[in-house]
Amino acid sequence: MNGRGPRVHTYAEGEFMLAYGPRNGPQILVIQPLFEELNRCRAMLASACRALAERGVGVWMPDLPGTGESLRALDTIVWKDWFDAVGAAGSVVREETGSEPGILAIRGGALLDRPLFWRSLRLSPTSGRSLLSDLRRSALASGSDPAHPAGYTLSASLVEALAGAEPAPEGDILTIRLSTDDRPADRRIDGQPLWRRPEPAIDIPTEQALISEILSWARP
Amino acid sequence: MTIDDQLRAILRDVLGLSADRAATIDAGTPLFGAMPELDSMAVAGLLTEIEDRLHILIEDDEVGGEMLETFGSLSAFVKGKRGE
Repeated sequence: MNGRGPRVHTYAEGEFMLAYGPRNGPQILVIQPLFEELNRCRAMLASACRALAERGVGVWMPDLPGTGESLRALDTIVWKDWFDAVGAAGSVVREETGSEPGILAIRGGALLDRPLFWRSLRLSPTSGRSLLSDLRRSALASGSDPAHPAGYTLSASLVEALAGAEPAPEGDILTIRLSTDDRPADRRIDGQPLWRRPEPAIDIPTEQALISEILSWARP
Repeated sequence: MTIDDQLRAILRDVLGLSADRAATIDAGTPLFGAMPELDSMAVAGLLTEIEDRLHILIEDDEVGGEMLETFGSLSAFVKGKRGE
């Protein structure tokens, strides 16, 4: 820990982005998980960002419109807003550092890395249909209205786009999955799916394994 | 991995079970109502992981106490869905 906190940037007309670490050297733009998985992973991601920064990697973590610190309401967001936001965040990274960022996309974040970026590390990429199923089932389980699952009110347009969204196959992709998950992957790590935990959690072995993969990917 | 091994791995991941505990799960192991980690919210994650990793679709009206009563009944449901 170097004692310095992250820098706060804005992008795309007032959206919120944290930046960690140096402006020289490799730069990573993080596309966080979507919906409840974002909250569950946030503590681990912030901790991993700090660790990467200490090892000389610049890390940029935008909150997408309608999520996290964004002032926009989620129910006003359409799919294109998120693509545009990822593109705008990338432009800020290029302006600030002069470097093309690699993308660290986690879970549903992997639905948003193409076509604006080419090089991605995807952790446990998932489909939009799967995220929607989770939202619907969580709503049923908690007795809330399936149209407003777990407090997440999505526009009809966003639901429609998510239903058909899959991680794009083209590009320079390193897919990482957990060793307990036997779907296709380039690398596997021993770890826990923190995006499945009911409460936000940090698991040191999972975080260390992920950081190690990210470092060897970011500094080939 | 066999279907049962994959299901054990999914239960381990979703419920945060230790590898040792997951390995003791067999056909007679009671699940919903007996395993404290498997509350109704965890069931939501469990079903989605099963769909994703085992390439099946589970309708809401197929989900019930019977299907989740034991590991054996869950396994039989999944295998039936896959036509095995």
